[in-house]
Amino acid sequence: MNLEKVIFGFFIVLAMTLNFGFFIGDIDNPAHHHVYELYAAIIVNLIATVLKFGDRTQIGAVHLATSLVADLQLITAAILFAAVSGTPSELTMINHVVSLSGGALLANIISVILLMAETISLRR
Amino acid sequence: MNNIIFMILRRMRAPLIAVIVSFAIAVAGMTLMPGVDADGNPHHLSLFQAFYIISYTATTIGFGEVPHPFSTAQRLWMTLSIYMTVIPWFYAIGKIISLFQDVGLRVAVTTSRFAKEVEALSEPFYIVCGYGETGSLLVRALDSKHMRVVVVEILQDRVNELELEDYQYDMPALCADVQLPDVLIKAGVRHPMCAGVAALTNDDHANLAVAIAVKLIKPSLMVLGRAENAETAANMASFGTDHIINPYTLFGEHLAMEVHALGTYLLHEWLTSVPGESLPSPAWPPTGRWVVCGYGRFGKSVVENLQREHITTTIVEADPKLTGCENCIIGSGTEARTLEEAGIRDAVGIVAGTDNDINNLSIVMTAREMNPELFVVIRKNKRYNEPLFEHFNADITMQPSYIIAHECLAHMISPLLAMFLALARSQTNVWANQLISHLVGIVGENVPETWSITIDPHHAPAVDNLLSWGKPVTLDSLTHDPSNREIGLNLVPLLLLRDNKPFLQPETDLKLMRGDQILFCGTPQAKSALPLILSNHKALSYIMDGREIADGLIWRWISHKLSH
Repeated sequence: MNLEKVIFGFFIVLAMTLNFGFFIGDIDNPAHHHVYELYAAIIVNLIATVLKFGDRTQIGAVHLATSLVADLQLITAAILFAAVSGTPSELTMINHVVSLSGGALLANIISVILLMAETISLRR
Repeated sequence: MNNIIFMILRRMRAPLIAVIVSFAIAVAGMTLMPGVDADGNPHHLSLFQAFYIISYTATTIGFGEVPHPFSTAQRLWMTLSIYMTVIPWFYAIGKIISLFQDVGLRVAVTTSRFAKEVEALSEPFYIVCGYGETGSLLVRALDSKHMRVVVVEILQDRVNELELEDYQYDMPALCADVQLPDVLIKAGVRHPMCAGVAALTNDDHANLAVAIAVKLIKPSLMVLGRAENAETAANMASFGTDHIINPYTLFGEHLAMEVHALGTYLLHEWLTSVPGESLPSPAWPPTGRWVVCGYGRFGKSVVENLQREHITTTIVEADPKLTGCENCIIGSGTEARTLEEAGIRDAVGIVAGTDNDINNLSIVMTAREMNPELFVVIRKNKRYNEPLFEHFNADITMQPSYIIAHECLAHMISPLLAMFLALARSQTNVWANQLISHLVGIVGENVPETWSITIDPHHAPAVDNLLSWGKPVTLDSLTHDPSNREIGLNLVPLLLLRDNKPFLQPETDLKLMRGDQILFCGTPQAKSALPLILSNHKALSYIMDGREIADGLIWRWISHKLSH
């Protein structure tokens, strides 16, 4: 067992699960989407991205790309959230925030699939 | 460049994670701390507000307590946050700065920039390995002859020196060990425009390594190798190094040439000098008995060549066993006693050829005091001693770097020039003197430009066209001014190479043929006028028949009608 691999896998999976946690619920109901969950998802995603830095293999490059996509979408969602929270348009804009995080979720799922593919192909 | 980005990213992992984690904790904690707004109601900072506050705090900008003055709990957390975020922040910045100062990274950046510059070269260029005394002389000469150069040098100081020099062309230079084949490849050995490699470092082994590497990577490339030891020279010759340059042997040959064929020597010096310099004034080494001080590589070559010219020599050597010298006077030559013993008073010349400049100067000064009529040949080893040598004013000063640079130039300017000089050596002195006076009459006293042309569809389309129409073109038509055919261009054809057969000083009525290569020597103006004649059909026809060719369909029709 390799501690580095454990941490790596942990952050990638956690990024996906937190992202999923924020995404799940009625898309237009702010009560179903807690801002702290989005916050945690962003932080964990950023850490996962940094962990992927500097891997020059093909799979490493795709890993990094998926993380960058997730970061981009989540940060956009957070900016949108920060801009609309407490304003009357919050009820309508929450749709966009959640759908952005849904996009990030897809990227995170791809990331986890890559992780699984990598693990399975190791065969040991 | 890619590698560098990955290298930076990889090293930045730890500091970035530290920044992210500390920010995350500080921001989250900040939102949890209870506060009060202006009206005294309980208030919690939103995540965005907290992020905003932590951002300006961590970066030490510090806007103060917004949107409301903090509560004690918030201030407590803030205090903690300051220490928690500012330190990782500085750690990350420090890491970035140290990364850019990292030697490994800097080398990677300069190397990749160098490789890109070399790759972008679109003209023929030479690779010069070693930018010492010899290398810098050669590079300066090539630059003034409008040839591109790539320099590889092992000492950073010398690379810095090169960057400060005022060259007309941009010169890619790398501080690296040329013995590494990878460095040579980056310097452009595989580049299609690479015309040759000159291995001029002061380390024979490095030169050997360069020569071998180039011959293996691209056997067709011309390699000039400096070799000061006979073994290295033999080794270089064994795998086909094109030109092996031994400064001591060369100087011996030149000295012999000066003794018996001054004209040939002058021609050699003149054609391989930097354009614009004036003609070197000739020295006349006398025949008679010479005293040679120092029987090292230099002394041996001098003695051998002088003896071939039937000049007797007396050798003075401090360590006869080491140098393998029989029959010599033991001593360094710096004391009057040794020189007296060598019979300095009735000698005609002295050669001070030890590898120590101060000793050499001491020898010749003592010798001149004893015999003021002496012809003095002195070996100069270090260029920084130049002022001393200028003051002494010897008849011939031998400087290895100068000789090597000239020899390299002879080969680099054009393969034809080297061939011409070799042929010239086998001619008589009278021939050389005539040629020199002919050249001086046409191009003046300054060092002329020397260049070669090839008659083929690519380099001389106008000539090629006329030839393909069966119209003979003489060499004479290339020597007239394209704007006024009555005026001749200030150039002299020195050599014509046809089917690998050289014609020395070809006659001007010679009819040109496809594939001819011609070596010219002349003024810069003539050099710049020649391409017009070679490529412009109208200019060439004008020179040949004195008639302007009519342009356009109508004029052509009219001139056709008029001529019938």
